[in-house]
Amino acid sequence: ERRASSLQHKSLLSCVTGQRQTLRQETWSLSPEEFEIWDRLYRIKEGDGVKDPVLPRVRFETLENVEGVPEREEGTAQELSLSEWRIWQNRPFPTAMVSHSDRCYHFIGVMEMIDVMRQQQGACSYQLEMERHLHMEDVNIARGRRHLSRQKGS
Amino acid sequence: LFQRLKAAVHYTVGCLCQEVAEERNVQFSKQTIAAISEITFRQCDTFAKDLEMFARHAKRSTVTTEDVKLLARRSSSLLNYITQKSEELAASNIEQKEKKKKKSFAAKGRRTEEQDIAVSESEDSNMA
Repeated sequence: ERRASSLQHKSLLSCVTGQRQTLRQETWSLSPEEFEIWDRLYRIKEGDGVKDPVLPRVRFETLENVEGVPEREEGTAQELSLSEWRIWQNRPFPTAMVSHSDRCYHFIGVMEMIDVMRQQQGACSYQLEMERHLHMEDVNIARGRRHLSRQKGS
Repeated sequence: LFQRLKAAVHYTVGCLCQEVAEERNVQFSKQTIAAISEITFRQCDTFAKDLEMFARHAKRSTVTTEDVKLLARRSSSLLNYITQKSEELAASNIEQKEKKKKKSFAAKGRRTEEQDIAVSESEDSNMA
């Protein structure tokens, strides 16, 4: 993770330091001047009062996880949340150069739908709508039969 | 037709959620099941487009299990699981082929079979 973030910083630094040093940019790592700038301006240090930002790891609740255990100690890192601001996510956010993908619009659409359903108590309009269109030949009945009576009854 | 497909997905998601609910001793609200259904339905759109692009990238017009594996590339746990399933499937396919050596599989049948897998896998991954 450190490596990845320093790579990102490198590209930022190239912008900051400008063309002057492009000839020296043959090496993979930062030059001493770039390192000095990174260390002074961007590097998160202990006294800064901010925690290292980290992205949440992939974890599957229903599968055996082979990803490995995250080695970070609790409290030293700020895990970036993808759900903290969910009430903002029912509309497309502004874009700069990259437009929203279909996948992103699907996400926004579902967030909108969840917002609408949040007001509902008990009966579910989606369920009522779907029941009208269900053809039993489309579904795997053997799997679901056990639950059918219960679902219809509730 | 869209509504009919959605209804089938909703029904199946309901059954799967019921299984999870019993296993883990939790309850899903109807709205939660509806949301998972809608996510699954929309995810199928993403999967279908990706699978088509993956196949085209390999200059094929038929989606294969290799394309399906690419959908699972972001998590090695998921990729392991899908790969294992695909090997099991391949093994049972060979078995069946040996049994009915004379009756060769029509390519069409094979294709729909793979599409079915894609759909059921997509449901599985959305459940996760």
